[in-house]
Amino acid sequence: MFDWFKNFASPSSLHAAGVLGMNARNYDIIAANNKRRLYPLVDDKVITKNLARKIGINTPNLIGVISTQNQVSNFLQMVGDYKEFVIKPAHGSGGKGVLVIKSYNETTFVTASEKMLSYNEVYQHISNILSGLYSLGGQYDVALLEEMVHFSNQFSDYSFQGIPDVRVIVYQGFPAMAMMRLATRESGGRANLHQGAVGVGLDIKTGKAIAAVQHNKPIFFHPDTNADLMQLQVPFWREHLEIAVKGYEMTKLGYLGADIVLDKFRGPMMLELNARPGLAIQIANNRGIDNVLKEIKNNYPKNLNYEERLDFVLGVAK
Amino acid sequence: MLNKLKSVRVMLVAGLVLSLLFSAVQIYQKTKYWGFSWTPKQKTPVWTIEAHVSFEPTGDPIKVSVARPSPSKDFKLLDEDVVAPKYKVEMNEKEVLLTSSPKKSNQDVYYRVLLYDNVDGSGKTTADKPKKVVKPVLDEQARDVAMEILESAKQQEGDPVQQIIRLLNQNPQDQTVMAFMPERPTSKETAQTIIDLLALKDISARMVRGVKLQEGRKTFTPDVMIEAYVDKVWKTYDIVSGKKGLPGNFIIFQRGSNFLVDVAGGINSNIKYSVMRSLSSSFKMAAHRAKYSNQDTSFKYSIYSLPLNQQNALKWLMIFPLAILVVVIMRNVIGISTMGTFTPMLISMSLVETGFFAGLACFVLLTGIGVAIRAALSKLNLLLVPRISAVVVFVILIMQIFAVIGYNWHLSIASSALFFPIIITAWIIERASIIWEEESFKAAAKQVIFSLLVAIITYFVIVNETIRHIMFAFNELNLVILFIIMLLGTYTGYRLTELKRFSPLAKAKK
Repeated sequence: MFDWFKNFASPSSLHAAGVLGMNARNYDIIAANNKRRLYPLVDDKVITKNLARKIGINTPNLIGVISTQNQVSNFLQMVGDYKEFVIKPAHGSGGKGVLVIKSYNETTFVTASEKMLSYNEVYQHISNILSGLYSLGGQYDVALLEEMVHFSNQFSDYSFQGIPDVRVIVYQGFPAMAMMRLATRESGGRANLHQGAVGVGLDIKTGKAIAAVQHNKPIFFHPDTNADLMQLQVPFWREHLEIAVKGYEMTKLGYLGADIVLDKFRGPMMLELNARPGLAIQIANNRGIDNVLKEIKNNYPKNLNYEERLDFVLGVAK
Repeated sequence: MLNKLKSVRVMLVAGLVLSLLFSAVQIYQKTKYWGFSWTPKQKTPVWTIEAHVSFEPTGDPIKVSVARPSPSKDFKLLDEDVVAPKYKVEMNEKEVLLTSSPKKSNQDVYYRVLLYDNVDGSGKTTADKPKKVVKPVLDEQARDVAMEILESAKQQEGDPVQQIIRLLNQNPQDQTVMAFMPERPTSKETAQTIIDLLALKDISARMVRGVKLQEGRKTFTPDVMIEAYVDKVWKTYDIVSGKKGLPGNFIIFQRGSNFLVDVAGGINSNIKYSVMRSLSSSFKMAAHRAKYSNQDTSFKYSIYSLPLNQQNALKWLMIFPLAILVVVIMRNVIGISTMGTFTPMLISMSLVETGFFAGLACFVLLTGIGVAIRAALSKLNLLLVPRISAVVVFVILIMQIFAVIGYNWHLSIASSALFFPIIITAWIIERASIIWEEESFKAAAKQVIFSLLVAIITYFVIVNETIRHIMFAFNELNLVILFIIMLLGTYTGYRLTELKRFSPLAKAKK
């Protein structure tokens, strides 16, 4: 019985560790920094993509948008010459409803996790997206057809199937905390921490691993590939952060999560932005984010442009 | 932002304090004047006292006066009526006057009062000052005996009045007392002896006659107590035990030497009382009570003056805010995530109707069958809206089957199916199926179990008869709940589940 109680930390010890709780995140951080009317900029991936193109952020190329049920049957014509593609809902969250097709012919489609789907199943999937199955609140949605990301070999030892991605929290324009999410066998090739993916906390200045967790417990080696997670170093780190900081430039959301993947040919690309990024990043970094946010708010210089903010965080002298 | 948070909190706390004050005033008024109680005592006892006066007319014009009950601390007059055909009826504060032309045959008239528990203790015994003590006229021998009795009474316990009462009631009886009192005295005679003895000690005393409210008493003679003027107040004494104070169930009809009944134009008059107890709804009595305390208008515009069926609907509604508060606490303070915000609350409402175990078993069965059917439906590749609609129709069909089976096999588990909200059930089935497909069976089961857990906790809060009664009788408490909910909207501390979730971080710091 008492052992069970030991699983709980006292509120004061969490407070001392600077841990941000859900209520405080919603009240003090999100409500104070993210204006409601800005949400559609990140909740609708079509809008996000257009904004990103204008401000010069790399994103996977858009093949087409399917917005009505009678367009669904045309999806193969839309895909045209692309050898692989991704279908995703414009209003989805947490990777829900994303279908990665890495090879196909007229009748059979092979997904990233080697699952075989019939034409009808893919058709059905797109149709479900349109009827709002994956959107928040179940409103009607549109489906995006995107070019597939050719994810870099750099991380192939670190991920079981799936695409590892980097999540950067940007607070008032400054990168505050970052982690990499690695898929595992248990997470079914997805990069969702609560499904058993590995979270690796990254040093915000260097992109080097500082800690790693799976299911809230510290680990040091990838459970499937046995790669030493502490050796993980994200290349093109400045470029990663640049995307995240530009995400603030284009949305003006004060508290923002940027999801970035590394493409073999095109470098870091922004997958999506999130106006309500979760708190698991604290566990992956083995430290609370609240102190970092307070430091940024109170002591970081104001009125810098994005390059200057980037320099400031990376510790590069002007 | 911090300052804004503070000012919002100050505002809400002020609102909370105001609503608490308002509720306190309202509750005071309702309990004191309207007779509402904290316990779900649905009924208020109503006492019917019937005085039956009989006499033989002498042939002269008849004038009968019957004593009316005095205002009492514990009871209030609900109604009174007189059954006396062909009599002219008049009433004043103390008595009922019946007048009639001469009659021939034996007369029976009835005077009936309806009394109910008075929660408003404002009625006070009138404390008029006593007249000069009238000493009894006694011959010398009797006087000596009396003095002897008074002397030996000093050996008894209590104040002088109690000493005398105890001595008179001693068993076996005191020799001197036996000489002084008539053999087998009536209670009236005993009371008179006590008053006489007290007069010798210069203490004013008077007889009090009335009726003790005890269920099912029939045709008894009035009960007697005495009042003595001690320390400048009238104190009431039981003439047998000497116990001080007016019992709560004693209704005084008459004080001092006035008669309970006075008949002019008749002889052999006799008065007998009977008492009956009946029950009436507390909320029904409230209107009467409000009238007595000049709160007619505020009662008229309260929910308790509505038609009964509307009151019942409101009684059901009044429990919602509390259930909502439970949901808010579960989500924002404990941190349990459920399927849909108010789904657990709606399930718990259904459980109240169905009974706990039967309802729970039925619900699990219903969703289980629903998920199985939904799995079959997903093979058909239907679009979202038609698919969820089909699930709704399936739920209705299952409910029908359950109801019929439940009726014929006398299974309450099956027949409780009808009480679950159809759309909510269908959505739970749909959501559970999707989570199962997208994540795992474990994740889906976890969501359903957590939702049920919150539903069960909510159920135990709202099923309590006392809590339901309080939320209805003191509906202003909902205002307090409203402010608590809004204050919880500014709670930025950790959720209970986060203490576990983030515990590795706290340990790392040490």
